[in-house]
Amino acid sequence: MALLRKAPRDGGDALGALADEDLMQLVRGGDARAFEAVYERHSGVAFSLAYRMCGSRNAAEDIVQEAFLSIWRSGARYDRARGSVRTWVLGIVHHRAIDALRRSTVHDRRRASDEGIEERFESGERTDAEVARREEARTVRGAMETLPPEQSQVIELAYFGGFTHTEIAEMLQTPIGTIKGRMRLGLEKMRNQLRMAEVSPS
Amino acid sequence: MSPADRHQDEWADAVGAYLLEALPEDERAAFEAHLEGCTTCQEDVAMLRVASDALPASVQQLAPPPELKGRIMAVVRAEADLLAAASGPRADLPERARDRGWLGWLTARPGLAAAGVALLLLVGGVSGAVMSGGEDGRVVTASVAREVAENATAKLVIHKTDSKLEVTRMPPPQQGRVYQVWLKRAGVKEYEPTSALFVPRAGGDGSVSVPGSLKGVEQVLVTSEPAGGSSTPTRDPVITADTA
Repeated sequence: MALLRKAPRDGGDALGALADEDLMQLVRGGDARAFEAVYERHSGVAFSLAYRMCGSRNAAEDIVQEAFLSIWRSGARYDRARGSVRTWVLGIVHHRAIDALRRSTVHDRRRASDEGIEERFESGERTDAEVARREEARTVRGAMETLPPEQSQVIELAYFGGFTHTEIAEMLQTPIGTIKGRMRLGLEKMRNQLRMAEVSPS
Repeated sequence: MSPADRHQDEWADAVGAYLLEALPEDERAAFEAHLEGCTTCQEDVAMLRVASDALPASVQQLAPPPELKGRIMAVVRAEADLLAAASGPRADLPERARDRGWLGWLTARPGLAAAGVALLLLVGGVSGAVMSGGEDGRVVTASVAREVAENATAKLVIHKTDSKLEVTRMPPPQQGRVYQVWLKRAGVKEYEPTSALFVPRAGGDGSVSVPGSLKGVEQVLVTSEPAGGSSTPTRDPVITADTA
């Protein structure tokens, strides 16, 4: 998908010039510097996702640490036929964050930054890659905004809140089948929006 | 109701929830089992994944704290060194072993054992001490916990500096675990961890060096530990060798 295309990296060393997939090949062989390059590229979006889901800096750090160490130790499981390294990394982070949320006894898991760290940790717009990310974020947010509220709501609660469809159905006092239908419809619509954005970038 | 309709009812709407990780555990397992053999659902997943994969891009982007990288890289570098010490050039490894990723071949995998890779790992623990006395090459028969393997044997060959623990017909530890060697010193209650981690070859034979001197050591023990080893044993010993 063009939206997730890799932007050229800063830094002049040889590893910096390698594509993610080639770096993963080296990581698989136990190359710590290749792993570091992968971390540099994807830790920002990974941390941001974890923080968005947990709302706590400590929890987000734990999740990112667990996820990247598992990536380091099981690099062999990356299969380039199934998608980009970034998507794979984020899938692992998301899964770990969901686990953490479901393990936690805190009843209200809904978002909220408990530490007000946004300003402090806001990443500056320094590299080409970051500029490309901002552009991508705008496109994805735009696509989400086109969804009917009841669809974006269930996607938010599920993907970022870590709630199961059963929990969401209870929360919204709506049948599970309806909730599942909204999830699917929402994703379909988003996909179509992203496809259009890809064809004609704004 | 046609089979296609029934399919629609049962699974089509699960695709969205599945991609958002919103299926309860049992339903997720059922859906994944179904997905294996259903091209309709596979296509749906591939199509809608474009949207769910894009969701992380929508969140406010934050820079992770630099200390986090420091912590992660400390572990990674230590493990990379351990791997380099253990394996020599990666190119020497059979293709299959390399395909499993390095931890995959450090830990017990039946397929890996079949590839004939000897997974004997000796790291760190370099003791420069020159030992006095001690009967070089003395062999001590060790006991193996019956519940681990009825036929397995183990012996300890004691040398002045590096001793060797040899096993035969030793089953591999469970997946994700390794055998770790411990020392029990006279007058010390706790087992002292060593950096000697090993997984027997296919067939259960293997040997591992126990670094350093065994002077003042009453017992050499082996437990099954999570890959990477532990600082205190998490399981009961599977091998016990009395050095006396």
